[in-house]
Amino acid sequence: MSELSITELSNDLRNAIAKLETTGNLDEVGVVLRVGDGVAWVRGLRNAGYNEVLQIETEEGIVEAFALNLMEDEIGAVLLGEDSKVKAGQTVRLKGSVLSVPIGPELLGRVVDPLGRAIDGGPAIKTKQQGLVEREAIGVMGRKSVHEPLMTGISAIDVMFPIGRGQRELIIGDRQTGKTALAIDTMINQGKQNTGVVNVYVAIGQKRSKIARLVERLKQEGVMDQTIIVATSPADPASLLYLAPYAATAMGEYFRDNSQHALMIYDDLTKHAVAYRQMSLLLRRPPGREAYPGDVFYLHSRLLERSAKLSDDLGAGSLTALPIIETQAGDISAYIPTNVISITDGQIFLETDLFYQGIRPAISAGLSVSRVGGAAQSGAIKSVSGGLKLGLSQFRELASFAQFGSDLDEATKSQIERGQRLTELLKQHQYNPMSVWQQVASILSVTKGYFDKVPAAKIKAAQASMITRLWADHKKDMSELDKGAKPTDEILKSIEVTAIAAAKGFEG
Amino acid sequence: MAKLSRRAIATYVAEQLTSQADSKKVILQLAAFLVDTRRTKELSLIVRDIQFYLSETGSVSGTITTATTLTAETKKAIERYIKEQTGAKTVALDSLIDPSVIGGVKVSIPGRELDATVSRSLTVLKTRFKKA
Repeated sequence: MSELSITELSNDLRNAIAKLETTGNLDEVGVVLRVGDGVAWVRGLRNAGYNEVLQIETEEGIVEAFALNLMEDEIGAVLLGEDSKVKAGQTVRLKGSVLSVPIGPELLGRVVDPLGRAIDGGPAIKTKQQGLVEREAIGVMGRKSVHEPLMTGISAIDVMFPIGRGQRELIIGDRQTGKTALAIDTMINQGKQNTGVVNVYVAIGQKRSKIARLVERLKQEGVMDQTIIVATSPADPASLLYLAPYAATAMGEYFRDNSQHALMIYDDLTKHAVAYRQMSLLLRRPPGREAYPGDVFYLHSRLLERSAKLSDDLGAGSLTALPIIETQAGDISAYIPTNVISITDGQIFLETDLFYQGIRPAISAGLSVSRVGGAAQSGAIKSVSGGLKLGLSQFRELASFAQFGSDLDEATKSQIERGQRLTELLKQHQYNPMSVWQQVASILSVTKGYFDKVPAAKIKAAQASMITRLWADHKKDMSELDKGAKPTDEILKSIEVTAIAAAKGFEG
Repeated sequence: MAKLSRRAIATYVAEQLTSQADSKKVILQLAAFLVDTRRTKELSLIVRDIQFYLSETGSVSGTITTATTLTAETKKAIERYIKEQTGAKTVALDSLIDPSVIGGVKVSIPGRELDATVSRSLTVLKTRFKKA
């Protein structure tokens, strides 16, 4: 060890000793009766409150836990550290506070655990403020209707299922259908479009390698500086998995309450419910449907209710939530999916079949919905989105019938052909979010029939060519369109001319 | 019949002991009850609960843990402190010598504790450094 570090250590030690205070009070104490599976049963501490932090004095230092079961003779507390250090007979004290985490701009660009400790190898995080992990959602009068768009950069979503700032939109689908990819693209789009929205990504029981890859990608895309990642791995105790979304929400609320906009991504709430089920069963709470405890609805409703668009009096900040739920074999009527569907303001349903047909993002037009986002859609997008969702749903119905025979009338044939072009157009590569003008021009080129002579297989190439030409020839108009206002006749004419010209090179 | 909570048993015994009842008879009753309900394993917990309720009625018993022997004067001062803090009429403290506390004093009474030992300070220090 170098001399410098010894001096630093010595100074740190002196400061720490100087700060050690003996309260001189008789503290209320309890004793650990039993411990196992991350749960400690404590006798005493009659004044402990629900969710209050307990400090267990072990040989290796103090291990914290929080009280979840307050019973007549004992307290069931969930440990926030390793249970191997905790033994029966150890002294337990009340910390005198409920759980809180560091909050503030200092967390931006960092990867932290649910207690706000840095896990990215960077320096310790020192924030000026602490936020309560469990906090009551804002009241009715403190809210405002969702009215500003939160652009995901994915045209299928922005056009058909628009998301507004302050909305809760569920991303639901089977495993490996691109749920996380949608969320990541949305985060990247916030950086690319300079929306100023802060991303908070909550990884609940995700593999550490996946988090490392995500961090790397976000750094590559230049979005990490406006992102906080709260990560838990399958190796972490269930208590940390349970706390992760609440702690991350507290971090997001800081921005909401300071007139900024934040986007929460809970990846995923199915694992969160499973962690809570494990804790509840170990705490001997009675199991209900699918062995989940009776309050599993409240578990998610109280979390998602914290996402809101604040009133002007409170600074007009917003907290948007994109919770993710994993279904089994496309069953959206299971317990947790139905709960979260009913809590959120809409859902984006991803289908395995579409995914393997190469339609990515594999968004089901029929089962997806955005209940409040329409009011938040910008004029530009609204001008092209009319009837698109219905048209696409009808096309998919027709296409499945058309497989059985070729005797179709002209109207049906043209509807199918346009549907095919639209489906091709709405395909989008990962990490490639589109700006408003690109989306408007692309949709118009198909819905107005400018690409009618382009075969479906060449639609993406025609779209790319048109976008390049538009930017080269009409940069000023497109920048204007990007601001979100309804396109003027002049802009529409430019798009028409350029689209028709671009289509010529791909007619087949 | 629902299982009687330890709190309920301890409250009953403490009430009987403070109401001038025959203490031997009360203890025999408790022993018989615990044997009958097969709860003898909970004996030490029930005794602690009884001590807790007795302390609430003004008679506190506990222990003082130090690394070296305390002088009678210091012990009396601690008893006075406990009386002030708890409002107890009688305080009975046993002395315990435990070199592992290193220095300072630890006073344990039912449900409460004053830990001003060096070993605890070191534990707190260890935790703070781990967090940092």
